[in-house]
Amino acid sequence: MSGLETAMLPVMQAVLSGILVGGVYGLLSIGLSLAFGVMRIVNFAHGDMVMYGMYVGVVGSTILGIDPFLALPASFLLMAVLGALQYRVVFRRFVGHTTLNQLLAAIGLGLALQMVAQLIFGVDARSAHSIFAGKYDLIGPFFLARAQIVAFGVAGVATILVELLLRKTQWGKAVRAVADNIEAAEIVGLKSQTINLTAFALSCGLAGIAGTVLVTYYPTDPTKGFTLMPIALIATTIGGLGSIGGAFLGGIFCGVIQQTTAMLWNSALQDVPLYVLLLVFIAFRPMGFFGRRSE
Amino acid sequence: MSLLEIENLSVAYGDLFAVREVSFALDEGAVFVLLGANGAGKTSILRSISGLVPARGGRILAAGRDLRGLAPNQVARAGISHVPEGRQIFPNLSVAENLTVSFLKERTKETMAAALAAVYELFPRLAERRRQAGGTLSGGEQQMLAIGRALMNFPKLLMLDEPSLGLSPVLADLVFERLATIRSLGTTILLVEQNATCLELATGGIILANGRVVLAGTRDRLQDSEFVRRAYLGV
Repeated sequence: MSGLETAMLPVMQAVLSGILVGGVYGLLSIGLSLAFGVMRIVNFAHGDMVMYGMYVGVVGSTILGIDPFLALPASFLLMAVLGALQYRVVFRRFVGHTTLNQLLAAIGLGLALQMVAQLIFGVDARSAHSIFAGKYDLIGPFFLARAQIVAFGVAGVATILVELLLRKTQWGKAVRAVADNIEAAEIVGLKSQTINLTAFALSCGLAGIAGTVLVTYYPTDPTKGFTLMPIALIATTIGGLGSIGGAFLGGIFCGVIQQTTAMLWNSALQDVPLYVLLLVFIAFRPMGFFGRRSE
Repeated sequence: MSLLEIENLSVAYGDLFAVREVSFALDEGAVFVLLGANGAGKTSILRSISGLVPARGGRILAAGRDLRGLAPNQVARAGISHVPEGRQIFPNLSVAENLTVSFLKERTKETMAAALAAVYELFPRLAERRRQAGGTLSGGEQQMLAIGRALMNFPKLLMLDEPSLGLSPVLADLVFERLATIRSLGTTILLVEQNATCLELATGGIILANGRVVLAGTRDRLQDSEFVRRAYLGV
């Protein structure tokens, strides 16, 4: 092996881990992107729904003895129901325009969710135990955590399923029609409120899955939503707000940048290039890679 | 009983009245025209029938049932289809998706295929472009799509808001020709226009100015009126 190749190995290792971690960032982001694309809602409480999804994994594995990966359907359903409730009570009145009131409502809701989590689970970090935890696979010259490989697979499959749901089903067609023109959707007989409610529930269900997958290798505490939200926002902005595939790729992009920065520079500064990128995108390409210009 | 009966309908935005105590009735099979200049209140009447804006006063009866307070989707489900001003098709849905996303009473493969076939027969152009995104169509094609979309659930009443606006005379003629076909197939039509040439197609109508009815009657009465001659036909 030549010297250059040897020098490149750690970088490639960082890129691969970045892709795996980034897939889960993508899963964090597609729900966020869905709510924005359909309802123009920027849901700052999305990260807190992810945090609850993490606790579903914790409770499942430590109390009920269920592997977090097997708790995924329960996590999806619980968070979807909670999301539907949030839509009915809070977000229903903010559909169509991202307003300051909407942002404040979402931030307030996120804080309330955090407090409730503190009351229920306490402030200490908790983790879940998956059968994949602590296992590593040697792929070529690279060491990859098995939990991260499985998590990436879940994220990829979820993204593809959401895309198919939106492209191929009658429900997906209706969601896209409501996103395009809510008034026109109503006059062709679509119940826009019901459609929005289900889309929002899906968005939160995806947050739940993302959390449960993430907690297999990343411990949680009630502030985790707050920690994760910026990355999800950056990934959706880079991918193009409203684009599902874009949000997933944006997540991978963030993961790679983060891990290579940590490897080449300093892991304490791993998020700095992401914030710089966010500024660059907002200034020069606010529609991201895959967003529509009109947005 | 009339298919649609409007009684003393008023529509207001804040303190501003767009429609004041307008009354008219449509029988089944009619082509009823609401004629008037910009700002006469025509669009507001259609929007309040559809439930897009609330009526400030009066009643909107469809086959005897009051439509006020219904959500727009409920009005559509009751068999009243609205082709809105400016077409309002779904730009990011394909032509076929624009059509099939509509509510259908019984959504089976057969009813869907029959409805699609009927629309494609009326507008063969849409069949040619079925895979294209709605937003990439020309103005005339978008108008055809908006009309086709409104026909998908076989409405009893089709309401059109200035379907000829922005179209070339040839295309406008084509649209009116198709409306005649739609009517002959048994759909009642409520047509909003600025242009009095649409009276050709009409069985009756009203002329509106500043939110009030200034003339009501059969086509002949409207066509012969001094008002239409001077204001619209320019003779």
